[in-house]
Amino acid sequence: MGFFDGSKSPKDDWSTMSTVIKAEAKLQALGEITPSRRAGVIFRNSDKNVFLNSIESELKSVLYVGDGATKTAFEIQDDNRGMRWVVLEDGNFNDLVSSVFTVGNAIGLNDGADNLLAAVFELYFTGTVEDNTYRSGLRTYWIYRYDRKAFYPFVPTGESEGERDRQTEARLGQDLRKYGLAIEKSLTEWMGLWGIPF
Amino acid sequence: MSSTTTRKFHKDRGLVTRMYFTMFMLGFLYAVFALFLYSAGTAMIFIAPIVGIMVAVQYFMSDRLILMSTGAKTVTAEQEPALHKMVKTLADRYEMPMPKIAVIDTAIPNAFATGRNPKNALVAVTTGIQQRLSERELSAVIGHELAHVANRDMRVLAIANFLVTLTSFLMTMLFWNMLFGGMGGRRNNSGGGVMMVYLVTIVVYFIGQLLVLALTRYREYGADHTGAEISGDPGALADALEKISGTVATIPDKDLRKLQTANAFLIIPAALKGEGSMNLFSTHPPLEERIKRLRELEQRMRYGLR
Repeated sequence: MGFFDGSKSPKDDWSTMSTVIKAEAKLQALGEITPSRRAGVIFRNSDKNVFLNSIESELKSVLYVGDGATKTAFEIQDDNRGMRWVVLEDGNFNDLVSSVFTVGNAIGLNDGADNLLAAVFELYFTGTVEDNTYRSGLRTYWIYRYDRKAFYPFVPTGESEGERDRQTEARLGQDLRKYGLAIEKSLTEWMGLWGIPF
Repeated sequence: MSSTTTRKFHKDRGLVTRMYFTMFMLGFLYAVFALFLYSAGTAMIFIAPIVGIMVAVQYFMSDRLILMSTGAKTVTAEQEPALHKMVKTLADRYEMPMPKIAVIDTAIPNAFATGRNPKNALVAVTTGIQQRLSERELSAVIGHELAHVANRDMRVLAIANFLVTLTSFLMTMLFWNMLFGGMGGRRNNSGGGVMMVYLVTIVVYFIGQLLVLALTRYREYGADHTGAEISGDPGALADALEKISGTVATIPDKDLRKLQTANAFLIIPAALKGEGSMNLFSTHPPLEERIKRLRELEQRMRYGLR
């Protein structure tokens, strides 16, 4: 990071966020991970932000116009904890990641960098978890925190705050790091997101 | 405020300067604010005693409150001989009386200290931290907690919080006052006047919050520093923090959305959230920064630079 880059440079987000593509590919080859088609970007809405006010039409032009456009389907949803989501759906994982990046980048470039909380990918895990039980298609979320510029796995076991499978998350975190995912080192920062709307 | 007067510590001069400056700014802010309220003819100074009593209760009963709210149990030397001996050695180095020791039966590794002065101090550790840390690391953690006691951090933060809590009370009262046009008569203030006082109160409240947060942060770095000086081994605390931050039990219960709203909207004064104690893992300042500073200190001490 150079002097003029600032810590919120979108380039940084891409170099860390794109590590998800490699990690996913390796784990899929091992048969441990199957991506769902869904991902999301969560942000705090602000009435003062022009871009966020018309996010639906803004994102349409960002994701649909141009030669390289991924044309990923998306919709805007509010969760029950006061935050807004861009929920994206794309069968091609690389396109999905690239669209998620584009959405976060567009918000960040339009004075919304401080509003961005996280990008969330949904993936299914198959294999043996920490208590030696074999799990087929266990739903996991890979959360990318914009303020930390790092990922961590999140495996909720319920809708209420605090209900998560810490053992599996820790193990998965180790695996994901091994396969090149930029993992948040400090486990105290692995904040959950309960009630993800997809 | 007396900091570490019992011993000749090498202080982090920059840190101490910043800390005193912050405290001065806080005092200055509230002095100006009081003057403003006075000149605006506000007769609401009577809230001060109420808030004062609340804070005093917390301040004087903090050890008992902690024991009640966390399920910590005080332990005798017979029950926990090793822990007792460790705390005794450290307390002797700080030249402070033996604090009360408590243990909390939980796998989550943590430790904290409370008490308005060294005579009334309590230091608590969880069974989780006892199991995970080596003797050297646990000793560094307890040294850090005792440093808070020696530096009288609970007292400094209680005073700072008193002012912030007072302002937040005032803010709430003024809000309802404006909504219902003055409770029970005492008024003659035009709406604009009350509005003005309200806005200034909000500004003072938020600046006060920021200053208290800064103060908490400096206090935390200060305790890291003092603890390292006492043990002569800054790496021990850094190791402990690293080890604990990497264990499964530290994966938090907290929702990410709360973190954001907390940062933007500091409703509860930072140190009150800790129920009047100094917790090992306050989010202010971030762990990485503390570990980085401890490692730097370790380097400097190793090569004899101060």
